[in-house]
Amino acid sequence: MSTGTGGSTGGTGARRSRRARAFGLRTRLLLAFLLVAAVSAGTTAALTYREARNAVLQTAQDTAVTSFRDQVQQTAFALPVQGGDDLDALLRDIARRGKPHPWVVFAEYGSVRASSGENAESTVITPELRRAARADPHGSFERVVKDGVPYLTIAMPMVFKTGPYSLVPSGLVLYAVMRMTDEQVNVDALLMAARDGALPGLAVALIPGLIAARSVLRPVRELREAARSMGSGRLDTRIPVRGSDELADLAHTFNESAAQLDHSVRELRDAEARARRFASDVSHELRTPLAGMLAVTEVLDEDADHLDADTARAVRLVSAETGKLAVLVEDLMEISRFDARAAELNADEVDVAETIRKTLDNRHWTDTRIRTELPDGIRARLDPRRFDLVIANLVGNALRHGGAPVTVRLRTEASSEGRAVLVTEVTDSGPGIRPEALPHIFDRFYKADAARTRSAGSGLGLAITLENVKLHGGTIRAGNLPGSGAVFTVEIPLHAEEAGG
Amino acid sequence: MRRARGRRGAAAFVAVPAAVALLGGCGIQETDVIEAGGPASFQAFLDRDYDMLLFFRSPDGGLSTVIRTTGSPSADTAGPVPTEKVVSALLAGPREEDRAAGLTTALPTLGRGDTVKVEPAANGRVTTHLPIALKPLDDTALRQLTCTIAYSQDADGQIVVELRGQDGTSRSGTCQLAPGGTSLPETGD
Repeated sequence: MSTGTGGSTGGTGARRSRRARAFGLRTRLLLAFLLVAAVSAGTTAALTYREARNAVLQTAQDTAVTSFRDQVQQTAFALPVQGGDDLDALLRDIARRGKPHPWVVFAEYGSVRASSGENAESTVITPELRRAARADPHGSFERVVKDGVPYLTIAMPMVFKTGPYSLVPSGLVLYAVMRMTDEQVNVDALLMAARDGALPGLAVALIPGLIAARSVLRPVRELREAARSMGSGRLDTRIPVRGSDELADLAHTFNESAAQLDHSVRELRDAEARARRFASDVSHELRTPLAGMLAVTEVLDEDADHLDADTARAVRLVSAETGKLAVLVEDLMEISRFDARAAELNADEVDVAETIRKTLDNRHWTDTRIRTELPDGIRARLDPRRFDLVIANLVGNALRHGGAPVTVRLRTEASSEGRAVLVTEVTDSGPGIRPEALPHIFDRFYKADAARTRSAGSGLGLAITLENVKLHGGTIRAGNLPGSGAVFTVEIPLHAEEAGG
Repeated sequence: MRRARGRRGAAAFVAVPAAVALLGGCGIQETDVIEAGGPASFQAFLDRDYDMLLFFRSPDGGLSTVIRTTGSPSADTAGPVPTEKVVSALLAGPREEDRAAGLTTALPTLGRGDTVKVEPAANGRVTTHLPIALKPLDDTALRQLTCTIAYSQDADGQIVVELRGQDGTSRSGTCQLAPGGTSLPETGD
């Protein structure tokens, strides 16, 4: 029962710790460092990139607009502008000298459309740019992305001088369209550089993250190990106190608490040991006078017939009670040996059926009150004396408190862990054990029947049986049969590797 | 614990779109139309002694300038081409080469016999008597007339033009074509 509970709590604990590990301190610290590094590196890289990109584009645009204006200002046009090969050649000439890259030049005047390229009208120039150029005689440009290719489109309304101070718009508008492929390459290179700068930053940020996580996690791990070690009984466990931070404080407090706990537990153990030694000493001290008393009461018992009736009854009572007292003292001493862990298992390879038969024969339980189902040939490593006590106690209890017939069954089966176990069942045909008594049936001095306070047993029989079975590394269960009658089941490993404690 | 985790989740929810927004503006983006300096002036080889400056209508509704040469300097006076002649040329409508460039006029075409009378300019103001009715003329037509007369009278076009029509209607104004040019008030210097 107790091992089952322990196992299940251990299971949930392990599950909890594993789930915590997935989002544990180390992960959280690393994530925090990464987040900070990512935000700072990302922001810096993004801002730098944007400034550099804008500068690259600004330079290209300014160069293009200025050089376009310079080029067209050196050109002569007749008004009205006549479309045709001459105009195309003129535009091609302007286009060739384009800076920073060659551009395609378009001319629009009235309904005349001409260009230095193949198409007379551009598909890139937007209506907004046209409207701006016509409405207001100002140079203007617009960046257009078409099919993923960025273009710079410049509109230049043409004016000419009529007098010293005045310029007249001619109605002619020249457009230049320039692919910004080089700029795009430069901008992409900038982006690459920003990314290549930011990513190693993130990788470098992992190192302080790992160091910080380690500095926190190592004390935590030590603390956990120490706590586990203490839980398994090593109360002298202490952890090294390093530095003077909060974790060192924690370690210090842990050590202090461990010392106090160690002290308290040692005191408790000492007290318990003293109590046990006292019980053991008492039973030892009682044994010698009891031996003398037994000898005397035996003599008195034999002579009781010659005494008068009242005296004879008193003498027999004294004799019987002295016998019970002797049994009680023997049982107490046996229990004391178990408590002092002085009980030893003298295991021997025996035929189990044979051993049980011998037990029953020795107690003269050979009549019809006892039924046996003892298959031959089952061999196990047992302490014959202790196994004899177990069987004798169970059968004796069954005869005393249950009802005949009492059945002793022997079999082997595989336990839940897959090990072969020897199963011995003792069932009686009595009224069974009261359910409320079942959990306490193996307790010392527990009387299942409150009315029967003065039974033949010492009250220690089942407790000693339990200790003997435990010494074999086995278990014992008490229960009731479906019909009526109690059943005691003893399970002992057939091949106990370590049958002690 | 749970609330702390929720706050951390919220922080991540803020940080991720911010990073996406920062990195989102990658590459070369489109822009609006951005003004960049003044217009470009080119060589038009305008000689006011030989050439007339006429304003016709573009297909888009604006005015387009045409330089038309008279072939020889004006015979009678050593000076610019007389305004009467310029206005007559304007009223005669676009020639073939003008029409080839898609230019039209908003003015009615005038016969040979009708004459234009221009009073001498005074006080930055010139009055022109036209042999057409002014009332049915639209805005483009009036601008054609005003600008043609203004630039004929003054190299910089800075003069108030008063038009008197055959129907007794009169209009006055300045040609507001020049980039950054300010129109003169009615009672100019």
